[in-house]
Amino acid sequence: MNKRPIISASDDIILNLKILAREKEKVRKKLVATAKKLAVTAAKLVVTAREKEVVRRKLAVTAAKLKKSYETLEKKVFERTKSLEMARAKEEAILLSIGDGLLATDEKGNIIFINKTAEKLLGKESNEVVGKNFSRIIPLEDEKGIFIPLEKHPVNMVLVTGATTAQLSTAYYKRKDTKRFPMAIMATPVILDKKVIGTIKVFRDITSEREIDKAKTEFVSLASHQLRTPLSTVNWYAEMLLAGDVGKLNEKQEKYLDEVYRSNQRMVELVNALLDVASLELGTFVIEPERVDVCALTENVIGEQKPQIEARKLRFSFSCEKGISFMQADPKLLRMVVQNILSNAVKYTPDRGKIKFSITLTDKKNILLKISDTGYGIPKNQQDKIFTKLFRADNVRNKDTDGTGLGLYIVKSIVENSGGKVWFTSPGGTNHDGATFYVSLPLNASKKSIANLVIENERPLLKAINH
Amino acid sequence: MQKQKTILIIEDEKSLRGALVDILRLKNFLTLEAKNGREGVESALSNHPDLILLDLIMPEMDGMATLKNIREDVWGKGVPIIILTNLSGAIEEFMDDVVTYYLIKSDWKLHDIVKKIGDVLDTQESRVVAGVLLQ
Repeated sequence: MNKRPIISASDDIILNLKILAREKEKVRKKLVATAKKLAVTAAKLVVTAREKEVVRRKLAVTAAKLKKSYETLEKKVFERTKSLEMARAKEEAILLSIGDGLLATDEKGNIIFINKTAEKLLGKESNEVVGKNFSRIIPLEDEKGIFIPLEKHPVNMVLVTGATTAQLSTAYYKRKDTKRFPMAIMATPVILDKKVIGTIKVFRDITSEREIDKAKTEFVSLASHQLRTPLSTVNWYAEMLLAGDVGKLNEKQEKYLDEVYRSNQRMVELVNALLDVASLELGTFVIEPERVDVCALTENVIGEQKPQIEARKLRFSFSCEKGISFMQADPKLLRMVVQNILSNAVKYTPDRGKIKFSITLTDKKNILLKISDTGYGIPKNQQDKIFTKLFRADNVRNKDTDGTGLGLYIVKSIVENSGGKVWFTSPGGTNHDGATFYVSLPLNASKKSIANLVIENERPLLKAINH
Repeated sequence: MQKQKTILIIEDEKSLRGALVDILRLKNFLTLEAKNGREGVESALSNHPDLILLDLIMPEMDGMATLKNIREDVWGKGVPIIILTNLSGAIEEFMDDVVTYYLIKSDWKLHDIVKKIGDVLDTQESRVVAGVLLQ
């Protein structure tokens, strides 16, 4: 074919062709750029694909590990459940067989659990009582057979008043088939998130404890009786001889007999003091407070010492604050305290010495008995032993005075168990610098039994009996 | 002269009983003795003494049972009874209405016991006299 060169073409067409060419160039450039971008993206995709493969592989490993952990965990849970069940079974066995009766209630007092001992003590089976209210199942009466009201029942006290523990040291429960028996009851609340959600009551039959207590008291009584009988005999016959009831005595005879009589008196005092100590240690002394005119009681005790005071020409003064008339105290025990501190002051002050006794109100709640003398005092190096049993300081033993060494032990027991305090001051030198004893007592003693007083390094007098 | 009063002594210890009898006779009282509770009740109810001294620990019938027995009698309800014992007084408290006094032997002088007896008998007399006057 002949190619005829395009020599002339219209300008328009040339222009259009140029424009077209330019556009095509643009497009071509764009395409190149896009191709380049695609290439970059492709490259990126490859990297991403590789990374994803790595992650996938990691995930697979992790999945395998998780599977293994799961299997191990399952095994552990199984074992743990087994051991928890065993522990629970053990606890239940323990609760069921605790020697004391155990009873648990919910917050309304309905019984949710009782153990075997409780079943036995109450004479009822678990299924008879669970779900019922404790007040209906366990009627209690006191020593005299009078029904104990609900307010005094420890479970009720814990539920209603929110007490942290409540106890009833003796209440009698009557089972249908036997006679009644004494119980000691203690109840505590079960607290979850600061709310009381139930109670636990522990109780036991104290018949044998009571019997032991009774035996101890009887022993003390019998011992006192047996020891005192021959002492009374000597006392009375010596008294009649000395009084000339069966004939006149010569001077020497009178003197000798007087020695016999006085020695016997010492024995009587010692026996009385030992019996008081025994009662204190066996816990058989009960504080029974009543309204006592402490000033009058003290004056009465002072009256007993008057003969001694006058015979030895002691200068004695006593004052009792006007505001104190009556206090709540056990009169026989208060009397013992006053008698002891007074007789000590009189005994350990030489003739013509001075004794000052005062009773004052220290604040609205307490009184203070203060007795100071110008007597022998208490040596400094023996002051720590003064309140211990049978202790008498060397200086008074040298001075030919009598004493059992038990008086202050008894005073301290009684005072401290009444909620009071006893203490003394004494310069304790070799001159008769005297001593001052202080007894502080609350105006309102509460009824309590005197527990054992334990002073450091002190051994019970009646250890053998306590076994 | 005032009529002599009769005191019944119920006490198992011979020596103590002897001392009481001696001192009471010396002080112009008539005495009756019993060495255990059973004898004591018999003597009290048949002789109607003016006052009874009663020990607590005795064989055959102790003081508490003796007391009960005597108090159950019409005459026995009103006779003054003084417990004279060496037993530490745990029972002192409930005795107040039933007995006139509770004395511990080893703490009391014979002569003081006799004085106490005299006081009780005097009070009895004045009570009786007052009783008659009030009728």
